[in-house]
Amino acid sequence: MDNEMTLTFLAISENEGLARIAVTGFIAQLDPTIDELSEFKTVVSEAVSNAIIHGYEEDGRGVITVRAQRVDDVVTVSVMDKGVGIEDVSQAMEPLFTTKSEMERSGMGFTIMDSFSDQLTVMSKWREGTTVTFSKKFYSVRTAVM
Amino acid sequence: MQFQMEMVSRDTVVVRLYGELDHHAVEQIRSKISAAIFQGAVSTVIWNLGGLSFMDSSGVGLVLGRMRELEAVAGRTILLNPSPTMRKVFQFSGLGPWMLDATEEEAIERVRGIVNG
Repeated sequence: MDNEMTLTFLAISENEGLARIAVTGFIAQLDPTIDELSEFKTVVSEAVSNAIIHGYEEDGRGVITVRAQRVDDVVTVSVMDKGVGIEDVSQAMEPLFTTKSEMERSGMGFTIMDSFSDQLTVMSKWREGTTVTFSKKFYSVRTAVM
Repeated sequence: MQFQMEMVSRDTVVVRLYGELDHHAVEQIRSKISAAIFQGAVSTVIWNLGGLSFMDSSGVGLVLGRMRELEAVAGRTILLNPSPTMRKVFQFSGLGPWMLDATEEEAIERVRGIVNG
């Protein structure tokens, strides 16, 4: 059975937890393992934090849309912002690269997103916004038992 | 987000974190932890992550930031009880060598041993 969810919220750090909870609920029906679930939550958190911190530079006014789709046991999530955009996507994706070292950002966000998902795409336009899309196939506990 | 700090010796502090450690949580607690490190003569920070239900790369930033503050005193960092996912996050970030498979008591003993031996 396929499913779809769209969640739109204000780009403030309080909502990082909200985004994780929503996606966790969405994938619960797939009976993910604890590790699958916590890794996927981490990816969501990295993408949403990036949108808040970098996309909107924490201006408190921007809006983020998280869209989740499920087709069979593959979940695809898009995190969209209409913020400042990324000037150089391939540079941003390099491990340890950060433009916010003074804020103690580790520069590991994209590396983590890439490692914890099966597929990661980043579409960004300077001054128009960024959409990070990631997907993962879940090997449910139920299937493993059968 | 809850946390506890305990000075277990003159130069060693244990930081116990509870709940979800994300960007939002780190912004709430960073300055408090940092102030405690600067106030005393702290040279070793033992992070007990056993009470955390979630951590993303913001946690890496928090630990790395305190490591930088401890550089002047040739400080030491120990990471205890990371979940399997946190373990991977630390490994990606180059913090793997600071994880210790030990209890708090064992970690404290080990730090004492290094100071005395």
